Amino acid sequence: MSDLFTNFLASGFVGDVVILAKPALFNIYFALASIPFGFPFAVMLALMKNSSSGLVSRIARTYIYAFRGSPLFIQFFMFYSLMLAFNLSHWKPMGIDHIVMHPLFIGPLVLVLNTSAYAAEILYGALRAVPHTELEAAKAMGMNRWQTFRSVVWPNMIRLAWPAYTNEVIFLFHATAIVYFTLPVINEQKDLMNKAGELFERDYNVFLHFSVAGLYFLVISLVIFFIAGKIHQRLTRHLVPTDRNTMSMKPNFMR
Amino acid sequence: MWFEYFTNGKHMAWYASVRFTLIAAFAGAALAIVFGLLGASARRSSFAPFRWLGLAYTTMVRGIPDVLIFLFFPLAFEQGVEWFMAQRACSATELASGTWPPCADAQWFLSTTEYLIMACVSLGLVYGAFAANVVHGAMDAVPSTQLESAKAYGFSRRQIFWRFQVRQMWIYALPGLSNVWMLLLKATAFLSLLQIADIVLWAERLGAPNYFARAGMLHPDWRWRYYLVLFLFYILMTVLSEHFFKYLEKRAGRGMRLNEGSSSV
Amino acid sequence: MRKLSISAALAAALLSASAMAADVRIATEGAYAPWNFMDDSGKVAGFEVELGNEICKRAGVECEWVVNEWDSIIPNLVAGNYDMIMAGMSVTDERKETIMFGDEYTPADPSSFVAASAATIDMANASGLKIGAQGATIQAAYLEANLADGNDILSYESADQSVADLAAGNIDVLLADTSFLEPVVQGSGGALAFVGDKVAIGGGVAAGYRQEDGDLAAKMNAALAEVKADGTLSKLLIEFFEKDLWAEQ
Repeated sequence: MSDLFTNFLASGFVGDVVILAKPALFNIYFALASIPFGFPFAVMLALMKNSSSGLVSRIARTYIYAFRGSPLFIQFFMFYSLMLAFNLSHWKPMGIDHIVMHPLFIGPLVLVLNTSAYAAEILYGALRAVPHTELEAAKAMGMNRWQTFRSVVWPNMIRLAWPAYTNEVIFLFHATAIVYFTLPVINEQKDLMNKAGELFERDYNVFLHFSVAGLYFLVISLVIFFIAGKIHQRLTRHLVPTDRNTMSMKPNFMR
Repeated sequence: MWFEYFTNGKHMAWYASVRFTLIAAFAGAALAIVFGLLGASARRSSFAPFRWLGLAYTTMVRGIPDVLIFLFFPLAFEQGVEWFMAQRACSATELASGTWPPCADAQWFLSTTEYLIMACVSLGLVYGAFAANVVHGAMDAVPSTQLESAKAYGFSRRQIFWRFQVRQMWIYALPGLSNVWMLLLKATAFLSLLQIADIVLWAERLGAPNYFARAGMLHPDWRWRYYLVLFLFYILMTVLSEHFFKYLEKRAGRGMRLNEGSSSV
Repeated sequence: MRKLSISAALAAALLSASAMAADVRIATEGAYAPWNFMDDSGKVAGFEVELGNEICKRAGVECEWVVNEWDSIIPNLVAGNYDMIMAGMSVTDERKETIMFGDEYTPADPSSFVAASAATIDMANASGLKIGAQGATIQAAYLEANLADGNDILSYESADQSVADLAAGNIDVLLADTSFLEPVVQGSGGALAFVGDKVAIGGGVAAGYRQEDGDLAAKMNAALAEVKADGTLSKLLIEFFEKDLWAEQ
């Protein structure tokens, strides 16, 4: 038994788990840096799409359609080369080009643009599903638009959208895998895909390196799902069980 | 003439490389339907190990990025094939040498064709899991009354599954499958990662700055223009797909009671 | 079901097309002028392509060119996707551990730094600079070993991308083969200029083979010797680099 254990420790598996721990932080960083900006932007887009103003609604619709209708891979290439093209004339004088063109900045930037379009569609769907009866009750109580939004629309929207939004966050986390396929690598700042590819090129052991990288993604996805599930429980604890929308870790087609 | 630049061989190769994207999308989608049906029937199987297999398949795909599976599968499959070839072709000492592949006879040459086929299978595998989920839900949506009538007519379990449940579920699965198709279509942008000279690779090559006269027209970095074209290309494909699926849903909904056909899964 | 049989037929058609494989498949990057590039007709061209075709002719083998991205060009040779690499690859001890090199067709060419001509850069005391190089090259390894302290090292998928970033001002300095940079500096219309001293890294450029393919390497080496002896090589060098790199030795 102890023999088996020492063999296991000496195997490449444990070594890979150790080596890939730091690269995994880069994937986590990209996702964590994108959510705080992507979520408010998505709420804004969803409200814009729902706006009674034709122009505002159309702008939001076009944006959401364009970013949901094209691959993130292309969006990365396009934004990076676009910003290069306008770098000298536009960014340089302000002296902030060093930050702007950094993968740790432009990575989350493009991810925010992308994920907010998907999340906006989810939130818009939830917005439309807010029970009419509650809106009418709010009106009857004489609430103004802001009060109605604050106490009726917002809590309902978040609760209804939560399972689908969790799904989107997992997609976002997986999307961090393609950041370094498109951006230059600075020093040792490498993510899981990058490092796994580098390890593979040394000994061609595709099964070991890619499986460990995949395992990191799988485990972190499950952690995201678990945390989101706990929050979902809190959000819906006042509802009777049959009224709760459920969450499940399935290949959810909604994206 | 100004337009000659856009009709030179390099641009023509770019336009022609759309075929790889389209082949990968259509063949990948066909395989995704196959894997989806297999996955869904595994999950409904009365034999527990099949159910676990179905669950493992869908959970793995759900937890791992598509691009990782897209890169992993062809490499793993190639090494698997080479391992089998090595068992037959290489001597024992070569097998024990620890190098890969052990001997020259176990070398499997991969060209664009092989990569394209494997890309299709990878896409099928990944999006098959999504399709399995859709199909699984759609099968539940088939009115149980229909299945019960079939049973009353004396059809066997297997007959009921294939002739009624599978045949009737398409209408319920269509909205979900249209969504899976959109995901798969966007994933075709990864083809260049498998050394396939697809639209993304050509766009990069065409847009890269050229300072060497023999390589053609001298120009600075034009990549963003070419990527913008790809951005618009994919949006156009999405628009076309949406119209097609709308038409399909309308067609499939004929003869259905109102609202029944349009309910999403 | 019909869809399935169509894709099966398609796969069969594609397979039969690839069955007509050439004797030797040579991989190149196709993005490293003047060594190898895609010309306006959409085909691979350049010094190495003409040299490779000449060698194949003399060796009496039929060759086919395969375009492969730089960062996976060695793994895919080892994996057997092609038999030979001609992609401006310098001979290094590290690479010799995985692949075998043929005889050098160009001598060691020192690498150069290039920067925007407006910038004032002191390469002798480089610090706080963003220095770029193509990933998995001898230049990238050199930067990591010698200039990583106090500078940021950026590695790019292709040399063209690093030039684009330099031209846009995203990196301060770029390190690459002098032979690659010369047309870039010339073609930039004065925007880019060489800075600092040249640095000697790595050996000459040679074709790469799988370690067990000694026979192929020997055959190609013999053909290369012929091409060298009768002056065809120097003619090609002058054609693409405007000078015979061997004559300067």
